[in-house]
Amino acid sequence: MAEAVLLKPDRKFVEEIIDSGGGDLKLCVQCATCSVVCDLSNDSSPFPRKEMIWAQWGLKDRLMADPDVWLCHQCMDCSERCTRGAKPGDVLAAVREQSVKHYATPQFMAGMVNRVRQIPVMFMLVPGILLLLAILLRHPIENMIGLGGGVHDEAFYASFFPHWLLIAFYTTLTMLAFVGLLGGLFKYWKAMKLADVTAGRAVGETGIIPSFIKTVIAVLTHKQFGKCTQRGNRQSTHLYAFYGFIALFVVTIYAVLDIYLFPALGLDSVYPFNLIHPMKILANIGGILLIAGCLKAILDRKKDAGDTAGNTSFDTIFIWLLLLVGITGFITEIFRFTVGADAHGGAMQYTAYAVYFVHLMCVFGLLVYLPYSKFAHIWYRTLAMVYAEYSGRTKEYAGSVPLAAVMTEAPATATTVEEPSEDEPDEGSEETEEEPESEDTADSTQ
Amino acid sequence: MDRKVAAYICRGCSIGDALDIEALMEAASDEFEVDVIHDHEFLCGEEGCALITQDIQDGANALVIAACTPRFMTDTFTFDGCHTERVNLREQVVWSHEPNDEDTQMMAEDYLRMGIIKARKIDIPVPFEEEVDRTIMVVGGGITGITAALDAANIGHDVVLVEKETQLGGWMNRFARRIPHEPPYREPQPVDLSALIAEVEQNERITVHTEASIEGISGQPGQFDVKLKANGSSGEFRVGAIVQATGWKPYDANRLDHLGYSASPDVITNVEMEEMIATGQITRPSDGQPARKIAFIQCAGSRDEDHLPYCSAVCCRVSLKQALVVREMDPEADAYILYKDIRSPGQYEDFYVRAQEDSGIFFTKAEVTGVSVGGDGHPRVEAEDTLLGEKIELETDLVVLATGMVPNAADSESIRKLVDAEAVIAKGEEGAQLNKAKQTFEDLNHLTDTSLLNLDYRQGPDLPVFKYDFPDSHFICFPYESRRTGIYAAGCMRAPNDSQVSSEDGSGAALKAVQCVDLTSRGEAVHPRWGDMSYPDFALDRCTQCKRCTEECPFGTLNEDEKGTPLPNPTRCRRCGICLGACPERIISFSDYSVPIISAAIKAVEVPEEWDEKPRLLGLLCENDAYPALDTAGLKRIRHSAWIRFIPVRCLGSVNVVWISDALSKGFDGIIMIGCKSGDDYQCHFINGSELMETRSENIQEKLKQLALEEERVKLVQLSIDEFERLPEIINEFADEIEDIGMNPFKGL
Repeated sequence: MAEAVLLKPDRKFVEEIIDSGGGDLKLCVQCATCSVVCDLSNDSSPFPRKEMIWAQWGLKDRLMADPDVWLCHQCMDCSERCTRGAKPGDVLAAVREQSVKHYATPQFMAGMVNRVRQIPVMFMLVPGILLLLAILLRHPIENMIGLGGGVHDEAFYASFFPHWLLIAFYTTLTMLAFVGLLGGLFKYWKAMKLADVTAGRAVGETGIIPSFIKTVIAVLTHKQFGKCTQRGNRQSTHLYAFYGFIALFVVTIYAVLDIYLFPALGLDSVYPFNLIHPMKILANIGGILLIAGCLKAILDRKKDAGDTAGNTSFDTIFIWLLLLVGITGFITEIFRFTVGADAHGGAMQYTAYAVYFVHLMCVFGLLVYLPYSKFAHIWYRTLAMVYAEYSGRTKEYAGSVPLAAVMTEAPATATTVEEPSEDEPDEGSEETEEEPESEDTADSTQ
Repeated sequence: MDRKVAAYICRGCSIGDALDIEALMEAASDEFEVDVIHDHEFLCGEEGCALITQDIQDGANALVIAACTPRFMTDTFTFDGCHTERVNLREQVVWSHEPNDEDTQMMAEDYLRMGIIKARKIDIPVPFEEEVDRTIMVVGGGITGITAALDAANIGHDVVLVEKETQLGGWMNRFARRIPHEPPYREPQPVDLSALIAEVEQNERITVHTEASIEGISGQPGQFDVKLKANGSSGEFRVGAIVQATGWKPYDANRLDHLGYSASPDVITNVEMEEMIATGQITRPSDGQPARKIAFIQCAGSRDEDHLPYCSAVCCRVSLKQALVVREMDPEADAYILYKDIRSPGQYEDFYVRAQEDSGIFFTKAEVTGVSVGGDGHPRVEAEDTLLGEKIELETDLVVLATGMVPNAADSESIRKLVDAEAVIAKGEEGAQLNKAKQTFEDLNHLTDTSLLNLDYRQGPDLPVFKYDFPDSHFICFPYESRRTGIYAAGCMRAPNDSQVSSEDGSGAALKAVQCVDLTSRGEAVHPRWGDMSYPDFALDRCTQCKRCTEECPFGTLNEDEKGTPLPNPTRCRRCGICLGACPERIISFSDYSVPIISAAIKAVEVPEEWDEKPRLLGLLCENDAYPALDTAGLKRIRHSAWIRFIPVRCLGSVNVVWISDALSKGFDGIIMIGCKSGDDYQCHFINGSELMETRSENIQEKLKQLALEEERVKLVQLSIDEFERLPEIINEFADEIEDIGMNPFKGL
């Protein structure tokens, strides 16, 4: 047998996981039902059983270096079938929250954007002041660099918050956040690799590029979500939000190109798009999908109120923020076509600006805090999935039977009845997970 | 008094349809000249019983009832002043054999003959009645003893409560907190025995002796004479029955070298932990600093063949309790529980969950391979086979070894050996025996004066112990029983228990003791032949002092005089008849069960002289389990060979080998003895009756060889009561075997 490992149990970390929604983790007796029923688990490094005992003993280092916690898509198959009610699904979600906090760079941001009590300051005061400051500094800067009367400044909202300022403001802050995020991702990758190498496990069986391609395909198809058996069709919820977000992202990029690149190439800039412009149509569809996905996620969480991690502020703040981005975006758009088409001035104009301002605040919360909030999952999970391919742990042993086939044949545990058909409304509690390779702005519905 | 035998044949329950009743009646009256014989369609009905009552009024005093099994309608067919011999025609004849068949008819006739013969020979038992003291003595004043004393007193018995310490309460006095004993079974509860102790002290019926030791107990149930030394003075008194609740001691942790008990002062036992908790400070004994990392090692020396092979049932819950208390006392302390299996039965699951919920209590299954002293001078625990899937080490401030319970009775066998050796030395024996005795004395000298009861019994001064050194007390069938009639085991000396169960044990044992004095006062036997009024009679003028009876009695009934002649103690007797089976001189008899009575029944069977006609087999069937099993087989209408004739015996141990030779000379071709299971998980109602028969049948096989008879003619089978479907198969197989072997050459001689 290998050398004994000196354990350093960490009660504080256990308590943090409990606070993050893993309240029942201590009930686990390691029966391994969870790992057996999990269709995302793999043969060489099954989860979430091992994560459960690591969490019970507060073995933070191991959990923080564990790619498997992010392979989980929280379908709750394990929680449903747990013989002790230890809710492994929720525990893993709580561990992921800890993971985001652990890799947060700079560290002090970790504890600042995931609690309801922090909303007034971090989501209202801070973005509000910064945006106001930007508005105040607009003319001095324009005068200084001679940008006065810049492109499209006559557009409805641009007269309030010009495009150059919008792009400069968000790009700068988001890039800053992105630098922090890169640091976290780098540390995570190193930790995962070190853990495997230390334990004498092979890594690098698949090259990084093929691993990345495989992962992107898995993300685009939402293959993993499709394997859930307990909480109905979670796949659709996440797909709506995911592709909604992607659409909006694409439109945003196009808009930036339209404003600044096309004129340079001698093409006409048509921004702001009219209602029948293909990009506008795509943006509206994207907005609807985003809102639908968020609403569905919120409703599902209501139905599965027993899922503790699905109702933590870490989770809730993110979904509501995403929803608010969508809703304020639409209202902003409506005002553009109504008030904006009208004349400048009047009370309605200020209402429109106010809504737009709220929209900008929401976008700030979403993008600038990305590395420290639940939104970070788009990066950490993707990275873990790439690593899982890269390390070879997803390879199935010859002869292993896909458990999904077995489990769907058999009736669920006594306490739950499986959804009879896929068309049924989704009853999954989930994190609305986004996997786009994006970090740039997405405020696009104008 | 003249014996007047009346026989009755019931035609009910299809007996009348399957047998020629007239022929039966003729056989009975012609051959055996019964005084009265009747048949009836429905003997257990009012009319049938009236018929019997009328005959009794006319002078009948021995009844033969040929009807159903004696296990049914017992009260209906019991009549004052008459012996009733039941002939089981229903279950064992008509329900298990071809109706209206010649063989079935012969079988019924044989059973009737046997019944009539027995009725002629059996005397109605006259109960042994002497002045009985109804006082209950409770030995041990812990929670078990206190409960036993209160319960016995509250139902009207005087109680003497004997405690070796200065005050009542036992172990629980030393504990600050106890495992929860009431809903919701989640939090450790405070220990408060003061109300119970006050209740004992205020109870007029209870006399408490503290700082007491028992110097001797002689006599028998109802008449135990106790010599007691208490508070420095000696006294003598008489009691009727005894509850032994002498409790437990922790397993000696000094033997657990691998767990570091002797290596570091920071390794303590769970009992020492209780004491530490009671001081209100959890510290490292080595330097007095607060202990914040505490490892609990479960099964320390338990479930371990080298130490205690059994589970002490409470250590898991004790550690859960201690961990919770530690966390309550110091929220900065962590408790690691390393277990083989957490055993928290019943409601205690909730207690386990409560401990699990605590973020500072860490659990893993583990085989602890060692505790060493780490570089920091504090214990370092190493374990393998953990739930983490790897070998682990833990740095700790304090290690608590959850040691098991050793009953305060465990040395009884050694003490007996010591006492016997002392007797040999005192007697001035010579040669090898003396040397052996001297060696024993040397080895066991440390146990001098450690006997708890100091019984004046030929078989040793304490309750005999059985598996794992606990007194023999089958936890389902015979709880609280011991191998000393009138002495009942309770609490942790009977089986490892928590305080709650110990308390229930006290109540149970107290009720057994009360039952014992009640039955004894009427001259009746206690469990398992409760109500039996017969007792063994010794024709001592023919005794050869072979000591088999005094040695073999499972209950230590018989003492010996100096020469080795048995000194009977009738109320100690359970009436199993094992002495009767053991006696080579056949001098031991019960009025209704004796060598001549059973021999006569064997000889009453009409054995056809010609082999071709019908072989004959004799079955000696234990009354306790095998007989009911055969009844059940009949009830299920499972057939067995009609060549066999069964005679019920009190226990296989009561089978005297002379019956075997009687049967062989009578012309029986084979003899099968069916009794209860022996061994570690024995089912014998008299502990070792079937085991003794195994030994005796080895001798029988020797005899058979000498007579040039096939060994297979005598067979011993062990059966449990639920194997009724197997029983007919066993009988039929035996019949086939005997058919193969051929005729008993002594037939017809």
